[in-house]
Amino acid sequence: MLVLVALSVLHLAAIILLLVATIDNAWWVTSTTSTDVWGRWMLTGNKWNLTDLPASYPPDYLQAVQATTVLACIFSIIGLFVFIAQLFTLPKGNRFTVSGVFQVLASLFIMIAASIYTDRFHANERSIGNYGHSFILAWIAFGLTFISSIVYFVLRKK
Amino acid sequence: MLRVLALASVVLLGIAPQASQAITVYTSWERHALVGSDIRLSCTFFSWRSISEDVSFTWRYRPDGSKDSISIAHFAGGEAYTDNKGVFKDRVEFVGNPKRRDGSILIKNLDFSDNGTFTCDAKNPPDIVGRPSSVRLLVFENLPIQAGVITGAIIGVVLGLLVLIVVIYYLMRFLVARRVFSLSVSKHGKKKKEGSQQRQGPAPPADPSKVKAAASEKKKQESRKDKK
Repeated sequence: MLVLVALSVLHLAAIILLLVATIDNAWWVTSTTSTDVWGRWMLTGNKWNLTDLPASYPPDYLQAVQATTVLACIFSIIGLFVFIAQLFTLPKGNRFTVSGVFQVLASLFIMIAASIYTDRFHANERSIGNYGHSFILAWIAFGLTFISSIVYFVLRKK
Repeated sequence: MLRVLALASVVLLGIAPQASQAITVYTSWERHALVGSDIRLSCTFFSWRSISEDVSFTWRYRPDGSKDSISIAHFAGGEAYTDNKGVFKDRVEFVGNPKRRDGSILIKNLDFSDNGTFTCDAKNPPDIVGRPSSVRLLVFENLPIQAGVITGAIIGVVLGLLVLIVVIYYLMRFLVARRVFSLSVSKHGKKKKEGSQQRQGPAPPADPSKVKAAASEKKKQESRKDKK
């Protein structure tokens, strides 16, 4: 019983981290900007304004990062529902493979997103700014979803 | 309540005739084109009146960053006139069908200097009150990828594959289950036939209807077990 609660909490935490990483525009921050993957917040005077991302960003890589973060969120959320459904329908002694598959796919997609972002964006600006909380949460979410999927693949239903 | 309704209908009847006199002109919002290509800028209008003989279309061009606009195409009195002196000399052609409310023009051999706003003004006398509509032309060397196309494509393909896999999985399960069921029934049917033929030899032939009833009863029991 405790194991199930812990698993659900882990899965839920992963979902929350994924959602924050996807929605919050804070993959890269400087003293006056907070940017990616959907828009750029710029501090002008005392107000933060949301502006478009610069056209110098490679559009295909940017859209790939957007798509894969969204897909990771979708798969993880569907995975939570599948896990709850499997709790009731799985015969005893079986493993939660389908939930594990969904979680491992979510982990794969967020890894793709974070990797593309690390490699292709702000490569020349390392001294001007630093990675923001969304970026860090994306990598942490990758770890959590991966661990979660391993547990689903190994655990057997009592 | 009735009073409000009456008041509203009077107001609407007062406004309606004026609204029906205005002509509305439609063009695209923004067009993208490659340098050196041709582009057809469409312009159409909606008017409460039928198309008159004096329907007219006027196209104006305002370059990016400029405040003035020049006329480049004009259709009136059944005749089309195009630019024969300016930047669009011999490059613009009136290809619309004014009788069908189409006042489109074709601009050939685009260049970067053609970036700007094209305004279409249509008049259908006596319906002449209306606002012209503008279309912005952007000329590129290579057409850029539109925002969100790749994002949408990746998400759509992955989710589509997921749905496809789920559907195929359930379909296979359904088909395999059906095949297994029909196989077991046919096997059982053969066994029953052999059994009854052997019995007909030594003993007097059993009542065929009774044999059939017994066989169908057994089949029903078998199918109930299968379903469980």
